[in-house]
Amino acid sequence: MTAPLVDIADLVIGYDTGMRQVRALDGASLRIDEDETLAIVGESGSGKTTLGMAAGRLLPPEAKVIGGSIHVAGVDVTRADDEALRRLRHDKLGFVFQNPTTALDPTLRIGRQVALAMGGRPPPEAIAELLSRAELNESERILRAFPHELSGGMAQRVVIAMAIARRPHLLIADEPTASLDASIREKVMSTLGRLRAESGASLVILSHDLRMVARHADRVAVMYGGRIVELGSVTRVMQAPAHPYTRALLTAAAGNERPGERLCPIPGTPPILESRCEACAYADRCAFRETRCDTERPEARPFLGREVVCHRAEAVIGAPTQARQEDR
Amino acid sequence: MSGLARIARRGRPRPNGLTIFGVVTLGCLLFLGVFGPWLPLGDPSRIAAGPRLDAPSAQFLFGTDELGRNFLPRVVQGIRSTFLLSAVAVAITAVIGTLLGMAAGYLGRHTDQIVARGADILFAFPALVAGLLVAAIMGPGQASAITVISIATLPLFIRVVRSVTLGVAGRGFVTAAEVAGASTLRVMLVHLLPNVMGAVIVQLTYALSIGMIIESGLSFLGLGVQPPNASLGSLLRQGSAYLTIAPWMVLSSGVVLSLAIMSVNLVGDAVRDALEPLKGRPLT
Amino acid sequence: MRLATYLLPRVLAALVTLLGVSVLVFLSLRLLPGGYADILLGPFVTPEARAVIAQRYGLDQPLVVQYLRWVWAMLGGDFGVSMVTQRPVIDELLRRAPVTLQLALIALVLALAVGYPLGVLSGVRAASRRKRRDFGRVIGAMGASVPDFVLGSVLIFVFSVWSLWFRVGGYVPLGVDPVGNLRTMLLPGLTLSVFGVALILRTTRDAVLRVMTEPHITAAVARGASPGAIIRRHILRNAAIPVVTVVATYFGFLLGGAVIVEVLFSVPGVGLYIFNGLLNRDYAIVQAGVLLAAMVFITINMLADVLYALIDPRVGVSR
Repeated sequence: MTAPLVDIADLVIGYDTGMRQVRALDGASLRIDEDETLAIVGESGSGKTTLGMAAGRLLPPEAKVIGGSIHVAGVDVTRADDEALRRLRHDKLGFVFQNPTTALDPTLRIGRQVALAMGGRPPPEAIAELLSRAELNESERILRAFPHELSGGMAQRVVIAMAIARRPHLLIADEPTASLDASIREKVMSTLGRLRAESGASLVILSHDLRMVARHADRVAVMYGGRIVELGSVTRVMQAPAHPYTRALLTAAAGNERPGERLCPIPGTPPILESRCEACAYADRCAFRETRCDTERPEARPFLGREVVCHRAEAVIGAPTQARQEDR
Repeated sequence: MSGLARIARRGRPRPNGLTIFGVVTLGCLLFLGVFGPWLPLGDPSRIAAGPRLDAPSAQFLFGTDELGRNFLPRVVQGIRSTFLLSAVAVAITAVIGTLLGMAAGYLGRHTDQIVARGADILFAFPALVAGLLVAAIMGPGQASAITVISIATLPLFIRVVRSVTLGVAGRGFVTAAEVAGASTLRVMLVHLLPNVMGAVIVQLTYALSIGMIIESGLSFLGLGVQPPNASLGSLLRQGSAYLTIAPWMVLSSGVVLSLAIMSVNLVGDAVRDALEPLKGRPLT
Repeated sequence: MRLATYLLPRVLAALVTLLGVSVLVFLSLRLLPGGYADILLGPFVTPEARAVIAQRYGLDQPLVVQYLRWVWAMLGGDFGVSMVTQRPVIDELLRRAPVTLQLALIALVLALAVGYPLGVLSGVRAASRRKRRDFGRVIGAMGASVPDFVLGSVLIFVFSVWSLWFRVGGYVPLGVDPVGNLRTMLLPGLTLSVFGVALILRTTRDAVLRVMTEPHITAAVARGASPGAIIRRHILRNAAIPVVTVVATYFGFLLGGAVIVEVLFSVPGVGLYIFNGLLNRDYAIVQAGVLLAAMVFITINMLADVLYALIDPRVGVSR
């Protein structure tokens, strides 16, 4: 059995705020294989950005790894020295950020930035070829442009082109379409998916929009309170969620309602943890809550072809759904 | 950036060595300036208290000047007038500048144009060159010094307050107050002022240090504080005539003046770090 | 096109500012003890000469007319006549301008050469180590706190004891004796540059720290670019943008006449000339000097706006 591309084990990360430490990850475990697309879904504050950035050790210095480990392509990310880490980022990783216009240097022309991402002075044809793979035509005009002269969608395609320029093994996209117009989100996601498939890399999409990413991912990991609460194939999880939070996400998502039906926002707010949560972090907002949920920390367990972190998974999956499940 | 990371950015700055040095120095100098006249340091104006141009000794810590006056109490007197003059000038300027800046940012249109251009016009005069013109019109003295400090620092207050006001004026609570029928003056004083105070305080410290440089510079040229009063600048002027034979006059007043300005700057840096922390990411 | 739409309002604003400066200086002329005739001819003037001047400058006319005539005269190169030498003030000022320019350039080059690299280094270090106490802060705080006349006096004292190579006073023009010129100009230039070092260092440090909070730096780190490459390709250029404005202000002030340093080191530049004009009650010199200093300052800042637009491609785009 070969080692997975990414192996994150019981990762605990806290942010020093000067007065106290806030836990963003509270024992997150995740394996990512070669050649797959994984969607990590959660509200803001769920820890998904922390998890994604931790894979490249790109967190700000206030973030401290308290426990656990991250291995990416055989490199122990939390312990590697700066140069080994730089090589890992340079050779194996590609990042796509939420806001493409701020992820590009405002003072450099696109052509120069793409060339830098390709590693120096590539021939002009190579640059144009890369851009066309990211579905950017008119490459001469784009290469001469400054970032602020591009639309959000074009800029994000440039960022994607730069991310795949060195054929990374792992692409991490943090809310890649959140800052774009709704009309082009789907197209940009398709481009990302197609490029992944062509290169055989693995793609991790971090998003709050479960329905949108579900159309582009093989597996989905739902995050809550700094942990992955449900992890399994998109089909299984979407059709029959076993964690009440996944279930609530599906119900809350627009586009899932029958005519005349009300959308149900998830009541309450995500928790802010200051230490290891010794109960279920979701209990306060949960409709399936029982005594055990307040006293005993649920551990990940296999359940109907997925992993779930819930004492009440059996009850959740058996409960009648209020909303029609979308056919996939 | 997730919500947690945002919380993480709001750290409480811990005082460092430089800040402590600044606060302690400023405290000591202010103590000397305020209570100097009642401290047993000697009489600053008593002529022939000792030999003329006597080097520093146990009796005269900073030596004596050309009239045999004890130089230490004169330096303490200088601290007093340098701080007092600059503080008065900067305080007046800060009030005027804050009001003008808020008016420009909040009222906009013609008010904004006039105030902004006015600030540009004042800013275009290099401080000491403008000081020569003011001295020509008003004659040398404290009033000239205060005027020059105001000319030099007023644009700083106007610009900062104006830009902060522009950022705040469009926010919900201001609109809400307007809709509720609050008068323009009330909106400015009750709703805008608290929001610009942070920027004003930061600017206040820098303006004070600029004010002290200008005051002592004018006094050094003989255009500021006039004898028999002494400011640190006029003491330097007095001492520079005897620089080679009695360097302690220039050195003592120069070091004290530099320490005074530095302590104000360091406190200003600390205030700014607390109010507007800047944290870049490491490159690895 | 982009540059034009950006620059045109700035040029107009600069012209308005210039207008305001001239009105202010004009009004201050009228406030002077003794009146305008004294400014032109000095206090010991005969009634006949006074009458000639009054007629020539139309002192009996309304203020607006007087102002327009005054501006018109200046446009024709007439900035008044020095009482002491009876020569046009503008000639004397222009004759001394190269000295002040040389002094300003020495100070600016020293300040930039030391301040900018140290600022970049200090900012990068501050971001990497999360320590706010570093050499950048110490130098910045010290340089901004020692007034030029204190530093100048100390230097004069030091070099009067050990003459070494430098000389205080005894200015010779650069064209006559370059080495002798530098022997007298380096110390005042150095004195003037210390505040500039601190100013540029602090501005650069803040600018670097601000750039390093931007996502595109994180993106460059995420691409595996080396720290050196990130500094060279992304930080230096981005951080230069706010520094341009501060450098322009500093240079403008230097050109306006470094009064104290010129007086202290007996450098026969514009500042010393204006100061001596004040001491001699030769007010025409003071007026013209102040006006020219402000004009130079406004012009330099205009040029800085152009430079700014060249460095930052976003300038001129409405956002």
